[in-house]
Order: sequence, then C-alpha cells, then structure tokens
Amino acid sequence: MRTNSLRKTLGWIGLYTLWTVMIIVTLLPIYWMIVVSARSRVELFDTPTLLIKSFYTPNYIKPLSDPVFQRYLINSIIVATSNAVLVSILALFATYALSRWRLGGADNIFFWTITQRMAPPAAFILPLFLLFTRVFRLGNWQMFDTQIGLILVYCVFNLPFAVWLMKGIMDGVPPELDEAAFVDGANRWKVLISIITPLVAPGLAITFILSWIFAWNEYLLAANLTSVSARTITTGLAEFVSVTGTNWGEMAAVATVAILPALVFLVFIQRYIVTGLTFGAVKE
Amino acid sequence: MRSNRMGWGLLTPTLVVLAIFGFLPFFYVAYIGFFNWNAFSNQLGMQWAGVNNYRRLVFDPAFLDSMGRTILFAFLAVTTELALGFLLAQTLVKSFPGRAVFRTIYTLPLIMAPIAVGASWRLLTIPGFGPIPYFLDKWFGFDFNLGRYGTQAFITVLVMDIWHWTPFVTLTLLAGLTALPKEPNEQAMVDGANRWQVFRYLTIPMMMPVLLTTIFIRLMDALRIVDEVFMLTSGGPGTATQFIGIHIYRVVVPKTDYGYGSAMSLLVLYFTIVLCWLLFIAMTQVGKQKE
Amino acid sequence: MRVSSRRLFSLLSVLIVLAMVLTACTTVAPAAPAAAPAAGGEAAASADSWWATAAEAAGCKDVTIKGISESTPPSNFSKDVLAPAFEAASGIKVELETTSWDQMYSKAINDMQANTGIYDFVYIEQDIIYSYLANKYLTNISQMLKDNPELASPDFDLAKFTSFIDNFKDANGDVFGVPMEAFIKVYLYRKDLFEDPAVQTAFKEKYGYDLAPATTHQQYQDIADFFTQWGKDNGEELFGSTVQGNTGHSSSFYEFVESIAPSFGVYNWGINQENWKADVANGGEMNSDKAKAALTFWVGLLNDAPPEATSSTWDEVAASFAAGRAAQGWVYGENAAWIATNPEKSKIVGKVGVALPPTAEGVMDDAKSGKGYIGYYDGGAYGLPVSSKNAKCTLLWLQYMGQESVQADWAVAGSRIVMNSTYDDPKVQEVDAKTDNYYTLMKEQGPLFRGAPPFPFHAAVRAVVEPFVWKALTGEMTPSDALDQAAAAANAELVNLGYGK
Repeated sequence: MRTNSLRKTLGWIGLYTLWTVMIIVTLLPIYWMIVVSARSRVELFDTPTLLIKSFYTPNYIKPLSDPVFQRYLINSIIVATSNAVLVSILALFATYALSRWRLGGADNIFFWTITQRMAPPAAFILPLFLLFTRVFRLGNWQMFDTQIGLILVYCVFNLPFAVWLMKGIMDGVPPELDEAAFVDGANRWKVLISIITPLVAPGLAITFILSWIFAWNEYLLAANLTSVSARTITTGLAEFVSVTGTNWGEMAAVATVAILPALVFLVFIQRYIVTGLTFGAVKE
Repeated sequence: MRSNRMGWGLLTPTLVVLAIFGFLPFFYVAYIGFFNWNAFSNQLGMQWAGVNNYRRLVFDPAFLDSMGRTILFAFLAVTTELALGFLLAQTLVKSFPGRAVFRTIYTLPLIMAPIAVGASWRLLTIPGFGPIPYFLDKWFGFDFNLGRYGTQAFITVLVMDIWHWTPFVTLTLLAGLTALPKEPNEQAMVDGANRWQVFRYLTIPMMMPVLLTTIFIRLMDALRIVDEVFMLTSGGPGTATQFIGIHIYRVVVPKTDYGYGSAMSLLVLYFTIVLCWLLFIAMTQVGKQKE
Repeated sequence: MRVSSRRLFSLLSVLIVLAMVLTACTTVAPAAPAAAPAAGGEAAASADSWWATAAEAAGCKDVTIKGISESTPPSNFSKDVLAPAFEAASGIKVELETTSWDQMYSKAINDMQANTGIYDFVYIEQDIIYSYLANKYLTNISQMLKDNPELASPDFDLAKFTSFIDNFKDANGDVFGVPMEAFIKVYLYRKDLFEDPAVQTAFKEKYGYDLAPATTHQQYQDIADFFTQWGKDNGEELFGSTVQGNTGHSSSFYEFVESIAPSFGVYNWGINQENWKADVANGGEMNSDKAKAALTFWVGLLNDAPPEATSSTWDEVAASFAAGRAAQGWVYGENAAWIATNPEKSKIVGKVGVALPPTAEGVMDDAKSGKGYIGYYDGGAYGLPVSSKNAKCTLLWLQYMGQESVQADWAVAGSRIVMNSTYDDPKVQEVDAKTDNYYTLMKEQGPLFRGAPPFPFHAAVRAVVEPFVWKALTGEMTPSDALDQAAAAANAELVNLGYGK
C-alpha cells in the first residue's frame, strides 16, 4: 500500500513537473520577444537579462502611429476577415451541393487540390504575379497590390480544408430534413439558409476562424503580390530585418502585435484546431 | 425538382476560384519549366529548352545537396515530433486539475505566424545579445554561434520546428487516443498481456489512421518549410540550412532563373508525392502484418 | 457553442456586408501616407509656379506616381520630405514603397521584365545598372529632356552632379538615372582609443611602431589583434575589427569583392573582361595568389571580430561599431554621420575617426593611375522604367529631387552627396567637422574608389560565388579551395548565360 501511494505521488509530481517545463519552453520565445520589445536600442546592446525592468513604449508607439503600419494592420484585418467570410460561404455552398446531389467527378477535384499544399511555394510567385499584372486587368485597374487579389489567392489554401471539414458535417445532416421542408413548400434556398446553415453553424465558425488565422499569418504571397496599398502586417514584419541598423526592439513590438489576434482566438478554437489542421480527417 | 443545375451552380464558384488561382498558376509553372528563361542571361526572353532543365537538375550538386538536407531535416523533425508528441499525448488522456490550462497554452505555437516564429527564435539566438548564446557561454563556456557553425544552425532549426509543431502532433494523437475503445485493452490485460504488448499490438494498429494523417501532414509541411528558417538563418551559415524551399526561392528571386526554378518546383512536388505514396504503402503493410 | 439560427444568420450577414463595404472603400481609394509638409517645401516655394505649370501642361495634375526603393535614410528623406514638398509644388502625388534590399530588387525586376508598369521610378543601385541597361529597362533621361523642353526644369542641370553620375550613363554619354545617394566604404576607427596615451604606449611597446590608422594590412592585423587582447585584459566587450561576414546573405560576398580584394589588388571580382573567365589558368584573377591572400586575411579577422560578425550584414556591422564593440572596420559611409552624431542610436558619439582603407603595395598607384581602385564607391539613382505609364510626371519628380537646392538638407539627413556644390554648403561642412571630415575625404579622395564592375550578369554570378565565400567564413573550406571552386563555378555560370565559351 505504502509503495503504491508513493509511486502515485511520484507520478503526479512527474506529471506536473513535465508540464510546467513544457509550458516554460513553449512560452520562452514569446516571452523573450516581449522583453525585447520593451527595450530601447541602446539598452539592447547590454548583456541580456530575462527580466523586464522598464518598458520602452516608443517601440510600440512609433510603428503603431506610423500611418504606413496602420495601413498594414488594417489591410491584414480586412483581408483575413473577408477571406474567412468568403471561404465559409463558398464552402457552405459547395458542400451542400456535393452532399445533396450526385455531381460526377466533383469529389476528385478536391483530392487534386491537396497537391497545392504539397508544392514548394516559391515558384508560384512568378505565375501569380504575371496573372495579377497582365491578365486580371480592367482599364487602369490591375489585381496586383489589391486586397481582393490576396483574398482570392488565399482561397486556394483555405477552401480545400474548409470543404473537407464542412463535408463531414454536412453529410451528418440528414436529407430527410430537406424533404420535410419541401413538403412544407420551401424551395432550396430557403432550406439552405434557414435550416441547414444553423445546423452546421459550429463547423462554419471553425472554418471561419481557421481561415482567418491562416490568411493573417501568410507571408510569402503577401510580400510578393502587394506593393504599397495592400501590404499586410506579416510583410511589414519581415521588412524590419533589413532596415538600416536592424531595429530589433520595434520589430519585436510589431511581431507581438501580429500575434495578438491569434491569441484572442486561441481560447475559442483550441478545441477545433486539430480538426482544422488535419483537413477534417481527425475529429476532436 | 432535383435538377443538377442548382447543384452545379452552388459548386461552381468554388471550382472557378480554385481553377483560376490554383490550377492556372500550376500549369504555368509546368509550362515555364520547359524553357530557359533568365532575366540576366545574354539572350533575352524565353528559349525552348525541352527537358534540359530537368536533365541539369539531376546532376546539379547544389540541388541534390539541398534535397538531401531537406529530407534529413524532415525525417529527424517528424520522428522526434512523433515520439515526443505521443509521449505527451499519453499524459493528457486522463483528466487532471490544470489540464485545460496546460493544453491551451501549449497550443500557442500553432497559431503564430511562421514568420513570427522565426523572428522570435532569431531574437533568442542572435550572437551578441540573444540570451541563449549568452547563457550557454556564461554557464558552460560553450560557443553558440549560428552564423558560424552549420551543425548548430541545423540543430537549432530542428529544435524550432519541434517547438512549433509538436503541439499539433500531441493534440492530434490525443484526439485519436481518446477515441479508442477501452475494451480490447482491458480484454488483453485480462488475457495476460503486458503494457508493452498492448501498446504494440493493439494501440498502434488502432491508431494507424490518425498516425498516418499526422505523419503525412507533418512530412508535407517539413519538406516545404521556408518562412521560419529564412527568418532564423537565411539558409545559412553557408548552405547548412538551405532547404529546398529556400533554395528554390533563391533561384527564382535573386537569380531570376525562372525556367530552372519552375522545373525544380515540379520535380520536388513529384518527389513529395512519391515519398508520401511510398510511406502510405509501407505503413499500411505494417498495419496489416500486425493482424 | 449553441447559437440560434437567427442570430447566427444576422451575424454572418453583418460581417459579409461589413467586409464588402470595407473592401470596396479601401481598394478603390488607397490611403496615402499622411506627412506634414516639411522644410524642403520652403526651398522650392519660389519655383512653385514652374512645377505647377509644367505638371498641368503635361496632364499630370492629381496623378499619383509610384516608386520602390530600399529602406535607408536617403530614401526615407525623399519619401518623408521631398515627396510632400513636390506634391505641394506640382499637384503630383508620390508614393514611395520602401522595403528590404532583396524584395526591392525582385519587385522592380519583375515589374520591368513583365512590362506591367507598376512602378514609375525605381531605385537603381550602381551595381545593377548594367543589367538594367542590357535589358533595356530604362528610359534615356537625357534624350527625354531634349525631346520635351517644356518639361525641362531650369533648376535641374545634369552637369552639376559629381562624377558618380558617369555610372549611369551609356556608351553615348546619355544619362539613365538621376543620382540620389553616393558614399564610400571607408575605414572607420575609434579615435578616442587611438588617441589614448595609455593605449598608445602599450601598443608601441608591443609592436614597436606608433599607433595610427592602418595603411597596410599588416598594421591592420596588428591593431586588430592588439585591441582584441586589450578588450579581454580590461574586461570590455571590445574587439579588434568588424567583419561583414554574414554566412547566409550576399553582404559578405560584397565586402570581399568590393573592399577587401581590391585593397589587395584584385579588381572587378577577378573576372577577365575579354574572355569572361575567372580562373588564373584562363586569364582571370579570382583564384590568384593575391585573391587568396585577401580571403585568408579577411577570414582571419574573424578571430578579432565580435561573435555576431558571422551574422552581420552592413546594418549589423554599423550597429556593432556604433555599440562600441569594435576598434576599427570597413563601414559604409552612409552610416558615418549617424554613428558620429546621434546619441539615440550610437554609443560612441564624437569618437569616430575616418581614414582611407589600408592597401597592399602598388594598389594606391593603380588607383591613382586609374588602373584599379582602393575601395568601393557605392550609391544609387532613381531611374524611369520604360514600362512606366506616367513617364512625363515622373520626369518632373526626378528633376525635383535633382535640384541643387534640396541637396544640402538631404546630405545632412542621409550622409550622401551627389552634387559638387553640396560639399561647400555650410550645413554640410558643419556635419563634416563632426564626422572627422568624412565629406572632405569623399570629395578629395573619392576618385580612388570605384563602383561595381559593369557586369550585366552581376546577380547571377554573385549567386554562384557567394556560397563559397560563406564556406570559407565558416571554415568549411580553406580560402584557397573556396576560391578555386568559386572561379570554376563562375566560369560555368558565365558560359551558361552566354558569355564566353
């Protein structure tokens, strides 16, 4: 009996130690980033300590009051939100269609979209650039350096998983409900909007949030397909690295601001992240 | 009433977006791969090259080095994350006070922008004012310098990737573990099997679908990694961390060798598909044997 | 998360509408950076009417022109001060995108290559002008001014620029870029340390000659060794030299070929410009003994450099030096001013000395005779891509920046001089005094420095040679092997691009 409870206690100690260590390791880079953002340039040259003695607010105030950075932030918000909304709607329509009709061969298309995810991203910069500047134009307007451009391109990454995710949920809604509504005189649209949508709402919410986060975090395409008007905050972050005399303090401040929205969403979605990242293959 | 038109109508917007912004660029990349197109070459414009680019690739030491490095990295990263993730998942199966808090905080790395991940690790490891080199030198007299030692850089990138993605593996495997039925395990224990045998012959085969999903996704992403590594080491020192994603970026952007870069991308994509396919077969065979 | 269908629907529709409205509003009218009109505006006030009239006549009123440049003090000055002033004077709005060095190139090249007309003016670094000219990306400014006399500003005179403008001329002497920044990569040293009697005595005791800014490589080495030891002995974070040795970025390649190798007598990357070969066997010099001596010397300096040297690009070198971590180093002139005068960014204000870099025997004579050079004359211009859709409006902007009247303030803000008269301006002379006469040095000894060689294949060959420089820096290869292989790689790439056989 004695040894059993001793082993149990050791087990608990081990467990808590393990997880405390894990949390410290997880938070360390983020904590250090905040520490750096609180130091002035000259302070940074001193020996590094892990404690925050004073908070050098100009690191935050300067970029945040710079209209260029404000624009980056606003662009990020607009692109991420619009993309999330668009993806949710398109996925809703698409999965409803796939689930309620026999559309020949459509299923296979989504398998091929996985290959998009497998390919190294750098080579797509040039074709997309050419498309945006040469092909998608209307008079003086071109798709390069617009929010619309980014919103549409991000669909390519978000739609596949959104569809896989929503399809599972949609299939779980029995067609009998549709039938019942038809008998009552409703048409397809009404069924979709009033009956189906509320039932799949949790799935839509996950789709929305995960798409939002991906769009917000994306760097490579945002950097190469935008110029002054539609730049996002992630690109702004990368730009810091080559500015004269790399201003680490300001860069850390901007990085901290860049991860804030995701932090806010974290609490809501951490239960669904796995489902999202595994294309719906693994459900929580 | 059940006309297919509405069905296709609902599906079409999605298909259109994917076709224009996904497939079109993809085909264009495939097309360019057959040309010699370099903004700085002596002959301007695109010149037909047939399969010459691909032939060059097969003998290109820089490309092969980079591929080898990437595969090594992917292998080490995925196996470590798998082992660590499984271990951690086991500890989270049973509820205990504080579990929710631990889990929530642990998920943080997954939602950070890759470029922010690279930036934060860079801040930690800059020689001169990062805490890691400073404390390693102070406490162990160890010279930690990412600009100098290729092996150190490689390992740091590995550690960063593990930090970033183990939570994903953990949570996914946890989902799989919690969904497992308990009876077979209990039955086997009653029949006299020990913990190890239960694990090996029951848990693993039942977890196979989840394991496969996890491994595939991690493998695909590890082979494509760019943002974090670029931010942390720029592919250096030298070419020690120049994985294939960065190598292609270097060929396409500063070198403007568009034709070659496109051919390279296609080849890498093909290779990734083949690798995943082989892995799929290997793992399902292993699964079958256990039965 | 149970939400009633009504509420969810309304939430979704609100979001959709909001998103669409925001997208529509902001895509159609991109907000321009709001900047208060600054001092530069006063200087141009008198000529206001000319700019406004010219702009109107060219149909440029209320047009917006876009440009791209690297984010540096000179570019930022043109963005923050000159652009608003120009807008006030002419009605033409200027949007300048400042970004990282690599991004700037890729976007400008993509644009000009694809003829998409995104950028009306682009930054042309002195080393890339040849590639741009070869690809016929740029408009002939001299010709355009001749063809459009109504657009030629009375305040703009190409003859007033320093000889730096020659870099941007073609074979006929026509100008393709209006210089906007120029500086030399000089030898900076810690004046306070060099003049400290205790230091001087200790140095003389150890090495037998007086401590002074190095004129030979041996002296440089001695000084570097001395100060590294001095730092250790006194428990300070002081090292003997900076090294721009980033092992993953082109900056290390550049320090080697622009500054170190020429100081040993290896010019133009060691590439023979008649047969386009780099190796000694075929008439090149990239793997010559002189080159190997240069690389060995430079890599050897890592022993005397702060630990961040192998992660340092030009920015970090300046930062390290400004933090007081090195006693000497090759530093780009654009940094000399702020390191010497700005207490917010520099810990060694007032302690900076400027001198000519050390050279090997015969190199100084080569430079004086024009056969070679002792270091790098860096800089850039703003050019007008052929693909631009607002060429006339942009020409006005380029001339505005090229006015004599704006040069002095620009020089003080960005440590750059591209016009002869700027040297004599009192504001500039004031800064000159504070920076140990950097501007005087640039004016008088500038001709000993030279920009990058006229290589249209600049970027491509750099990309194949730099990995070997990196490997030499990490010690993975000996300098000798590194240069042998680099020369072979350069040969192969040149043949691949169609130069030589």
